[in-house]
Amino acid sequence: MTNFRLGKYRESDSMSKLLCEKYFTLLVLSRFGIALGFGNKSIGEVCRDTGVDTNTFLTIINLLMDKNLEIKYSETSCSLESLTNYLHNSHTYFLNYRLPEIRTKLVEALDPAQKELNKAVLHYFDEYVLQVHKHMKYEEKNVFPYVRSLLQGEKKDNYNIGIFSKQHDQIEVKLTEFKHILIKYYPAKSTNEINSVLFDIFNCEKDLASHNAIEDRLFVPAILDLENKIGKKP
Amino acid sequence: MNGSVKIAIIEPSLLIRSGLITILHRLNMIQTDVFEVAEVEQLKSVFGRRNPDILVINPSVLGLISLQQIKKMSGNSDLKCIALQNSLFDNAILKAYDDVISIYDSAEQIGEKLTRTIIEPESNKRHESLTLREKEIIICVIKGMTNKQIAEKLYLSTHTIISHRRNIAAKLQIHSTAGLTIYAIVNKMVELDEIKDLPNSNGE
Repeated sequence: MTNFRLGKYRESDSMSKLLCEKYFTLLVLSRFGIALGFGNKSIGEVCRDTGVDTNTFLTIINLLMDKNLEIKYSETSCSLESLTNYLHNSHTYFLNYRLPEIRTKLVEALDPAQKELNKAVLHYFDEYVLQVHKHMKYEEKNVFPYVRSLLQGEKKDNYNIGIFSKQHDQIEVKLTEFKHILIKYYPAKSTNEINSVLFDIFNCEKDLASHNAIEDRLFVPAILDLENKIGKKP
Repeated sequence: MNGSVKIAIIEPSLLIRSGLITILHRLNMIQTDVFEVAEVEQLKSVFGRRNPDILVINPSVLGLISLQQIKKMSGNSDLKCIALQNSLFDNAILKAYDDVISIYDSAEQIGEKLTRTIIEPESNKRHESLTLREKEIIICVIKGMTNKQIAEKLYLSTHTIISHRRNIAAKLQIHSTAGLTIYAIVNKMVELDEIKDLPNSNGE
């Protein structure tokens, strides 16, 4: 019964086992810049080898595994710096890889006989991508620099994280609508290509939702915590 | 209906809680988002964060709190409460609930009770086809007209247009103009050159 494991993943668990049990962690790994080929090393060892904060890694894995998990940021000893890097890399992944790839596949999957309709479909998708760009750019331009200055002990008067969380919208909602439109209204033939792009959209939708969950449940509380600490200093 | 139905299970026994969750998954009949609550004290944070539609609750965990207080705490006047009965309770207590699930119920019975609770308020709203007026409005919307312009053209009030648009969104589950455009083209309601919002030389 040595393979038996209950509850959350720990530092001493094997990294390759984690990957095989929960394949979505592949995405987390690449966002932390961890390369494959780590043999039998434990999660802790692999993280230390690649200079990744183990606590942050584990907290994200466990949060993604169990969306009901109650997390108190103060008890996780996550590194805000690591978290910010992680989120930044996620943005790069969505904007430079995932969404363009879906578009390419979409173009291949559309029925060439439906020229006019395809134009409208692509237009919808492009508009959506633009929205995601805007959403993430805001974080890159305003939130991340703010966090970096906080980490250096500076508190700017003209910004606080409350401004961000108030306007933080769920960017996956419009992708869900797009998926519904394709499924319900697009007169596609049942092809492997259309299935493949739909699978990708389903995955991407889920991935975006968990990306947002990490921001709302881990990132924002972490910043609030730091704001309070700095605010208390004379 | 907006996405999934959120069900919170408030029951101290992990075994019973997990059993119910397994049954709900097995039923697979409604889009559900289930979460567990072991103690009443946790309810407050659940209300704030998850905003459940249905509570399945063991009446004995409430103690001195009344069902009314719970409903008030939730801030959701449409909140449904179903009693999870695992022992004998006074009928007067059970009457206060919208329904009662017994731990000896079969999966079908549980499914039926849940569906009954959820469906009642908005039974026959779905699958309605669009009215002529609604189609007219869709065409205006995708031509890029504002609500006010549409109102003037059709001799209606802006208010009426807004409520038509709300109905359209509910029937088609499409909220954006770009989405309506796709719908209109599929259903041959417009010619492409009538649509304002489309770039013309973006063919691929």
